[in-house]
Amino acid sequence: MVRALCQRNGDSPDVDRLIIFNWYSYGDNSLRAIRKSVVKYQKYFPHLGKNIRFDPALRLLVLSLFLALIQPAPILIVAGQHEAVRSSHPIVAVHTRLTDEVEPWKIQRSLQMVREMGASSIVEFFPWAYYHGQDGGIAWEHPDLVIEHASAQGLKVVARLGLTPAWARPTGTPLTHLDEGAYDDFASFAAQFAARYEGKVDSLIIWNEPNLSYEWGYRQTPVSDYVNLLMKAYPAIKEANPEMRVLAGALAPTLEPEGSPWGLNDLIYLNRMYEEGAADYFDGLSVHAYGLTFPPDTPADPGLLNYRRVELVREIMIKNNDQETPILITETGWNDHPRWTLAVKPGQRIQYTIDALELAEKEWPYVEMVAIWAFRLPAPSKSYMDSYTLVTPEFVKKPIYDTLQEYAGN
Amino acid sequence: MKHRRITWLPIIVAALCFIGTTSCQQEQDAWDRIQESGILRVGLDPTYPPFEVLAADGVAGIDVDLAQAIAKDLGLRVEFTYFGYDGLYDALATNQVDVLASALVISIDKFRDFAYTTSYFNAGQVLVSRTDFPHKDPASLVGSTLAVELGAQGHVEAAIWERQIHELEIMPFASTTEALEALSRGDADAALVDHIGALVHRDQDSSLVIGPDLVTEEPFALVVLAGQEELLDVLNESLVKMSEDNQLQIILDRWLGK
Repeated sequence: MVRALCQRNGDSPDVDRLIIFNWYSYGDNSLRAIRKSVVKYQKYFPHLGKNIRFDPALRLLVLSLFLALIQPAPILIVAGQHEAVRSSHPIVAVHTRLTDEVEPWKIQRSLQMVREMGASSIVEFFPWAYYHGQDGGIAWEHPDLVIEHASAQGLKVVARLGLTPAWARPTGTPLTHLDEGAYDDFASFAAQFAARYEGKVDSLIIWNEPNLSYEWGYRQTPVSDYVNLLMKAYPAIKEANPEMRVLAGALAPTLEPEGSPWGLNDLIYLNRMYEEGAADYFDGLSVHAYGLTFPPDTPADPGLLNYRRVELVREIMIKNNDQETPILITETGWNDHPRWTLAVKPGQRIQYTIDALELAEKEWPYVEMVAIWAFRLPAPSKSYMDSYTLVTPEFVKKPIYDTLQEYAGN
Repeated sequence: MKHRRITWLPIIVAALCFIGTTSCQQEQDAWDRIQESGILRVGLDPTYPPFEVLAADGVAGIDVDLAQAIAKDLGLRVEFTYFGYDGLYDALATNQVDVLASALVISIDKFRDFAYTTSYFNAGQVLVSRTDFPHKDPASLVGSTLAVELGAQGHVEAAIWERQIHELEIMPFASTTEALEALSRGDADAALVDHIGALVHRDQDSSLVIGPDLVTEEPFALVVLAGQEELLDVLNESLVKMSEDNQLQIILDRWLGK
């Protein structure tokens, strides 16, 4: 391909200065190739003079183009042979945060470290808004990458789906805004997700902390809104992939009373879900069980937000004849920030985490998995949230990672 | 027949005027609304002392004092609304509040939707040493022991230094306080801790000195919605005024020690 740039020489109106460069000529032959091109194409421009100049600016341009075209081949990250997790405590899981991690090697490294730590499962967030275009097309590249690498590391994947694309919500609303007008679209996406990752993803969590108005775009919504979402999503997912488990809930532990604009007590919310007919529309209940400042063995109390609140959740399930449905703790943990009012000391955090895992194993047979929030963030949040992680963004293991690895028998 | 040429220039100019008017209108709406109501709605997460924490009669802290001082300067009253950290930016985006004052670090990835004032405090990591043997920068730590809080950001940074500084020994402790106490006792030659922790501890222990430069940058700023230029300008003007008349420093000293 040859581009021609012609300039008229003002000194000699009958002579045109023809500057030609060949985009695909490389190395020392560049200038020779250019001259050959000039000669070759001159016959098409007979009216042009033969006064061809290769001034320094042109040479510099050619050199720059050449250097820009010479690039090392990108490092190819392959998933590699399939590994298996070795763990003496398969209940151990982590919530990874690869949603905003774009570099394949970092995705692979994160999941490799998860396996090496001895966690059997991951919970990962796959935002609907990131992938689903208005034309119906879905950009599967990133989820494919994450799930492929997780599978290669032998990790079970629990996928949380949430966040609404701009085309599926009113203008000016936040990503968390979801109304009934978009339920069919969400269900369609969830079904396609379930079909695509058959055999690689174990469960889908439908939305997140629906008992908080924040998770609906700061709108107060009745419990029936969430139940209706489940009623749309569940059959669509099952039709696409009957083996995919659907997890409801992921309710936020909160004491917000009836009528609060910010949310509703998770225990009240769960009970009302059953009253609204949700029982037939989920296969497992996702639970968030943060310890805050309490040791894990602090007894459960309806007025307390602590780890053992899981037992109160279980009581509601049993009361509603749902004892066959398992619980998956998809977020738990303690925070060791030096000043956050709801944090504990780093040493306490390590001990509480181990004790929490042991407690779940010994006393909660209905709990399949305990996923610690969070394994690693792609970038520091520069807030107390960073003090939840097990590994830094630079892949430096925190002492809690080492302790968990030892606990898992690795 | 005479054909009239369509001239696009007036159409483009008209369109630009319309767009300009509309965007100006949005900016003025926010500041106009605040002036009309006389209330500055401030969002914060009240779990992060000394910047904001629940108190007997509401909320207290550096951000609280700062917001109240700015509001006073602007002739406004403050209304605080509390959110969890995760919900702060969405609260601003959904017009629950006008500004966030919650020890928020300026974040480039939020520039599209939000705007930050100038920074009023930097919370990065600092090198702390004793006044009798000060260490002003990492280069002076050859052959030294460096106290850090176990697993904290200072520990992460120190692990990098350990590979670069000859014979540097890292001593992790359970908390920032313990790391600084070890420094005071002479068990360590220096400590690498967060600026806030260092200031609070130094207020109680005059034998310690904080290095002149921050090792890492974590600038705190107030946050408004992108496009609210007038509101941003008045907030920045207030901050400049408070900086010049020392009112900002007085607030910081009250909570972080002199």
